[in-house]
Parts: sequence; structure tokens; C-alpha cells
Amino acid sequence: MSARTVRIVLIVTAVLGVGLASYLTYIHYAGIKPLCGRNGGSCEFVQTSQYSDLAGVPVALLGLIGYVLILGSLLAPDEERFRFATAALVLGGFAFSAYLTYREVFTLEAICEYCVSSAVLLTVMLPLSLWRFLRGGDTGGSAAPVAGPPADQPAALASPT
Amino acid sequence: MSSEAEGDLTRKQRREQARTERKAAEQAAAASVARRKRMTQLGGAVAVVIVAIVAILIATSGGSSKTKAPPFKNTAQEKPVTEAVAAVKEELDGIPQSGNVLGKATAPVTLAYFGDLECPICKEFTEGALPSVIKNDVRSGKLRIEYRNLETATREPETFRNQQSAALAAGKQNKGWYYIELFYHLQGAESSGYVTEKYLQGLAEATPGLNLAKWTSDRADQSFQAKLATDAQEANNAGLSGTPAFLIGKTGSATKKLEYTSLKDPSSFEEAVAKLAKA
Repeated sequence: MSARTVRIVLIVTAVLGVGLASYLTYIHYAGIKPLCGRNGGSCEFVQTSQYSDLAGVPVALLGLIGYVLILGSLLAPDEERFRFATAALVLGGFAFSAYLTYREVFTLEAICEYCVSSAVLLTVMLPLSLWRFLRGGDTGGSAAPVAGPPADQPAALASPT
Repeated sequence: MSSEAEGDLTRKQRREQARTERKAAEQAAAASVARRKRMTQLGGAVAVVIVAIVAILIATSGGSSKTKAPPFKNTAQEKPVTEAVAAVKEELDGIPQSGNVLGKATAPVTLAYFGDLECPICKEFTEGALPSVIKNDVRSGKLRIEYRNLETATREPETFRNQQSAALAAGKQNKGWYYIELFYHLQGAESSGYVTEKYLQGLAEATPGLNLAKWTSDRADQSFQAKLATDAQEANNAGLSGTPAFLIGKTGSATKKLEYTSLKDPSSFEEAVAKLAKA
């Protein structure tokens, strides 16, 4: 998979995450019940549990902020610092998502499909963002827009002509 | 001449090769440095994330390991469940419970408290006069309180049966009063439909020391329907139609309706208890 493809996959997953977190943030502030699957009340149970906010800030809003920042770092120029920002943000999001899953499974004993979806998105994003950061850029830190040339083209070596 | 040219070409080629090798080595060294730098940065990020998650875990686990963190909050009232659990524990801990009876079996006076768990005026009494009555009369062994079920505020008979049975099931583990008090403390707005299955389960999980598996199976106990019917009949016989309503008497003897002046002031209750205890 090329670095360009990885970046596109990351952008798509981040956009999905923004959509998911936006919906949960909206229903939190609108005070409406989430549309749940066959488990019925599990979503509502989790969404209204005491773990649905952190220091008074709804977890859904924290998720939205996180996904927006990740998306922002992905849309920024393909530079080392932004690749690091993406990796660090995804790492933080993944760890927080793991904590929330732990609370769902072991404390609340109820599963929220939306939370699981977010955990899946971040699980997909983690290895991709880490690979993208550790691999580094081959363009000497210059900007490489998504629609532009692939960033993983090997640097041209001086040919012994 | 041609061999000189050949020698020059070889030297040139060698120079080019050496330059290429030097450049490749420099690039490899630079890449190695960059990789180490990235690993260090990533290590720092991992450390920060670990510290943050541990801090969140500690902060959200609460101070006491004895009391399991309640799994829900009452959004209708915005009252933290932990606060309600702490208040109820302080009020009831150390007082004997048997079924839905609070207090020592040897207490000379018995008060029957007729309530509907969704009744807001019962909440007023439970949080108003009752704590003082429990502290002064029940804890001292003068009074025992029996909780009786009377449908008033709950609109749906099915919901009434369900919620009152949930408290009766907790009573089978002698935790009924914890459940009743928690229900009143965390009561939502009347007719708002807050009494869901999750709400009842959440209360059970917040009830100190309740065995959830046993509580769940006990909820189907068929004898609860008869108990609810008996309580309603008794209220009817005594001419009680609203809640909260009270019958008081010497334990094991006839009871009479207790007239109170206030649900927040315990004096009517404490005076009646004192009078009967002396008699």
C-alpha cells in the first residue's frame, strides 16, 4: 500500500469518525435517544452512564474534537510534524477508546454500537498512522497534497553516467 | 593512447562510484538518525497517553473500592448517583432490614409507610422528615418501618408492578430499603417515562451489597403480585387513598392512621412514636 493510499484511507476513516461523533454529540445536546440496533437500550444506557462525560465534557464531544484534529492533521501538508500529529492524536484516541470499551465491558456490562464503531475506526487508523509516521517522507518535508504525486516515490539517486 | 583513455575512464568511474557510495552512506546515516528521532518522539507520545489514561482511570474509579461505581446517572434530575448512594448508606448502614422492613424486630412501635416509588410527595417525605425519624427512632430501636405499596402517581399499572417488584426483590436480600431510598433520591420527573428497565437495573447495581443475579431471578417471584394486592387492600380498608400515608401502632397490635402536619418536619412522627412507646 502506498503512502498516498494510506493517507486517503486515514482521511476516509477520520471523516467517518467525525460523522459518528457529530451524531452522538448532537443527540447528547438535543436530549434524544440514539437509534440503536437490536440491543435496544444498550446505547442509551451507555450514552447516559456516568462514563459518558469526562470532567463535565461529553465523551462524544471529546471524540468529535479528536476526529476533527486528526482530519486537520491529515489535510495539512505532508510534513514530518503533521504526520507526527496524526500518529499522536490517533494513539491518544485509540487509548481513550480502549478505556471506554473497558468501561462498557467490565463496568457497565452494556455495549454501544457507536462506541464499538469508533473503536474499530481507531483500530484501523492506528497501524496506518504509525507506519506513515515511522516511514517518514521522501520528499524532504515538502508539501504533498493528496491529489498530488505519491509521496512514496524513491528519491532519485545520482546515476553514474 | 587508448589504454590511457581506458585508465582515465576507470578512474572517473571509480570516483563516481565512491561518490555514490558516500552519498548512500550519508543518506543511510541520516535515515537512521531520523528513525531514532521518530521512535523517541513516538515513545514520548506513548508515555503521555499512558499517563493520561491511568489518570482518567483513577479519576473515574472513585475513591472507595467498597462501593462499586453506579453505572448510570439520572439525567432527569442531574443528581449524581454516587451522592445518593453515599447519603442512603449513611442513613441506613447498621440498621437491620428484613424484607421491606427497616429496624429491629423487637421495636415496640411499627409504622407502615404506604408509598408509590414514583410519587414525588413520598420523595419529599423520604428526604425530609424520614431521615430524622430513622436516626432518632429506628436506630435507637424504638421504631420499625414497614414499606407498603400503593399505586398513586404511577400511571401504568404494569410499570407500578415492575418497579415495586424490583424493590421487593431487593427486599428478599434484605436490601429493600436501600433500593427504595435510592429510587426516591434519584426519582425523575413525574410521568416522564424514566422508569425503564435500565433505570431499575441501574438502581440495583447501585444498591450496596445486592447480588444482581439473585435480584434478577427474584423479580419474577409470583408472590409479589399477592403482596401488592394485599397492601392495596389494607390501604383501602384503612381509608388511605393518597401517598404517602401512614398507619402506626404498637408492634403486633392494631394500627391507626397517622395524621401529620408536615412531611419535612419529623415532629408529628416522633411525637406519635414517643407516645406509643411509653404506652
